[in-house]
Amino acid sequence: MSNSVISVISRFLEEYTTTTPNKLKVVDSYLFYILLTGALQFLYCLLVGTFPFNSFLSGFISCVGAFILGVCLRIQINPQNKGDFLSISPERAFADFLFAHTVLHLVVMNFIG
Amino acid sequence: SSPCSLILALAGAQALTPAHYLSLPDVARLQNLLSQQFTGLDSAYYSVVGLSKLGATIPDHEVRRICQFLKSQLDPMSIDSLFFAAETSQAISGCEIPVSNETRDILLAAVSEDSTMTQIHRAVSALSSLGLPLASQEVVGALTGRINKEDNVMAGGGVQGAWHYSTAARLSQQTELGGILEEIEDLTARLDDLGGIYLQFEEGLEATALFVTAAYSLSDHVDMEPPLKEDQVIQLVNSIFSKKSWDSLAEAFSVASAAAALSNNRFHVPVIVSALGPATVSHSQPTLQLLVTDVMSQPLALANVLVESAYSVASKSVILSHASFTLNDGVFELNFMSSRPASGYYQFAVAVTGDTRLVGNHVELKVKVSTEVVVNNMDLSVVDKDQSIGTKTTRVDYPSKGKSSFTADSHQNFAMAFQLVDVNTGVELTPHQTFVKLHNQKTGQEVVFVAEPDSKNLYKFELDIGERKSEFNSISGTYSLHLIVGDATLENPILWNVADVVLKFVDEEAPVAIQPKTLYVPKPEIQHLFREPEKKPPTVVSNTFTALILSPLLLLLILWLKLGANISNFSFTPSTILFHVGHAAMLGLMYVYWTHLNMFQTLKYLAIIGSVTFLAGNRMLAQIAVKRYVP
Repeated sequence: MSNSVISVISRFLEEYTTTTPNKLKVVDSYLFYILLTGALQFLYCLLVGTFPFNSFLSGFISCVGAFILGVCLRIQINPQNKGDFLSISPERAFADFLFAHTVLHLVVMNFIG
Repeated sequence: SSPCSLILALAGAQALTPAHYLSLPDVARLQNLLSQQFTGLDSAYYSVVGLSKLGATIPDHEVRRICQFLKSQLDPMSIDSLFFAAETSQAISGCEIPVSNETRDILLAAVSEDSTMTQIHRAVSALSSLGLPLASQEVVGALTGRINKEDNVMAGGGVQGAWHYSTAARLSQQTELGGILEEIEDLTARLDDLGGIYLQFEEGLEATALFVTAAYSLSDHVDMEPPLKEDQVIQLVNSIFSKKSWDSLAEAFSVASAAAALSNNRFHVPVIVSALGPATVSHSQPTLQLLVTDVMSQPLALANVLVESAYSVASKSVILSHASFTLNDGVFELNFMSSRPASGYYQFAVAVTGDTRLVGNHVELKVKVSTEVVVNNMDLSVVDKDQSIGTKTTRVDYPSKGKSSFTADSHQNFAMAFQLVDVNTGVELTPHQTFVKLHNQKTGQEVVFVAEPDSKNLYKFELDIGERKSEFNSISGTYSLHLIVGDATLENPILWNVADVVLKFVDEEAPVAIQPKTLYVPKPEIQHLFREPEKKPPTVVSNTFTALILSPLLLLLILWLKLGANISNFSFTPSTILFHVGHAAMLGLMYVYWTHLNMFQTLKYLAIIGSVTFLAGNRMLAQIAVKRYVP
């Protein structure tokens, strides 16, 4: 059982490193960073307490929102998905990404306290 | 005074009855005021004529002194002086004021429409009192002329009217004066109605009183009823006699004149019915006594007083109907107890007849019938709650005290049963206040309960010791038991120490002397507790975690380096630079928003920087897209 899991994971990693374009890997590492940050914030909240709650929420939502927007950007610039996004060039995707982040940051800053 | 309050209670009743009148002390006070030393002819006039109106006789030596005074003070050139002297001399017998032709001429000259109404009145009165000839038609002409001149009879209307009518009353009976009498109705309309109880002129008491005097003087003179309704007469009575101390001699004189006019004229005599003492009858005092007088507290000669109906306030049953009072030494009496009324309150409708002139002669009185009460069949017992042990009832006779004391504890009830009976009739009574009081002799504590009657008017009281222990503060001991009976209709309220009761409570607190409740002692001061700031984690912890959070950023940079991410394609075009600068500015704005700004300011700046960044970014991305697109 565990054998198969390990073999699946190693196969996946191998496929990932070989087939994924560099651009996407850059975005993926960004997403991984966001994930870590969010997880660490949550760990802090669990360990130390929710004070001040609004700050925790704002930070956590910032991570979640950034992750989602990053995922959206990755989907849109993935060349394999070009068929789904004919009218949206990668530049346009990036511009949307920036605009959405502006709104997200505005909200997060308002709430951070 | 109680007669007054009885009558006042009728202010809302259907038939209006006088609320104020001159009682005997009031008359005495008025006479006293009018008996003061003379300061001049006017005060002599007010005093002497006023006293004579109140029926006081002036002793002979006084008469001589007054006459001397009048003659010495007289100024034969002044109409007022002549008026005062002449009128005063008329009031006392045997005083003649010397009159000359000049005097007569002066007086006659004053009777013209050019003189004021007061002057006309005084001149005519002086002429009449001095026995000088008077041409009635001329006077009427002068009066009518004067009235027409003063078409605005606004100020002094009451007084003007008074002089007008008084003057007319002095004229010969053949003169046609009926028209003037009818004018009284017009002037009556100018009276102010206050709450339906008072009717008076705006100018005040004196004007109203003079008006009333003059109106009756004229109506008596022409033998025609004045156009005043009964209710109006009573309202005038209320206004004139409501004031019991008078500011001036003139005011006192006007009140005395009005009192005399209202007690003794041919048409309207307001009658005052009042109870002598409190309106209470009982077995010891079975007669209801009433005083029936005029407004000056003089008893009415020809009066018959009868009770039209008397009914019980509680049961509304009529006890008496058409029963007459008998006159006994100036007081009207009725033996009400002979009708065997039960104790309580009764409403009497009394009518005074015998004289067609009587006004306000239907009066309502509230009469109280009181009695004495006795306690019968007082049975005390201690009953076990589970009723297993038979009850032992002890009878205690009023007013003695039970010989042995009763003992009761929390498992038992203490019961009392008794009857309250009218001594005279044997009827059971239910007085307003029937209380059972338990008084702890040691601590001074008193606990009071109410005893209630059952449907058969038998009083029962049961004390559940266990249930009521909080009222007693669970203090065991000997309590003296008192029965308290009281009511407005009882002549003998009862406070009877029936017996002693020893109460035993289970959880007893240490007997504490009963302190008065410390209600008014300053309470402990409340310190305001500010909201405690939440416990913050130690700085070490937060610093550690801050470093921890920033570590993934390091990881990201390492990963990017490994991947070979670079900015080698960076072209230094203006739009690129502008975009990056604008973007950096936007991020900087976020920080400034966090620290200094509010949303509105931020949005304003964001709009500016954002639009610049957008335009530049748009350009930049387009350039990149062009570069990428290789056909």
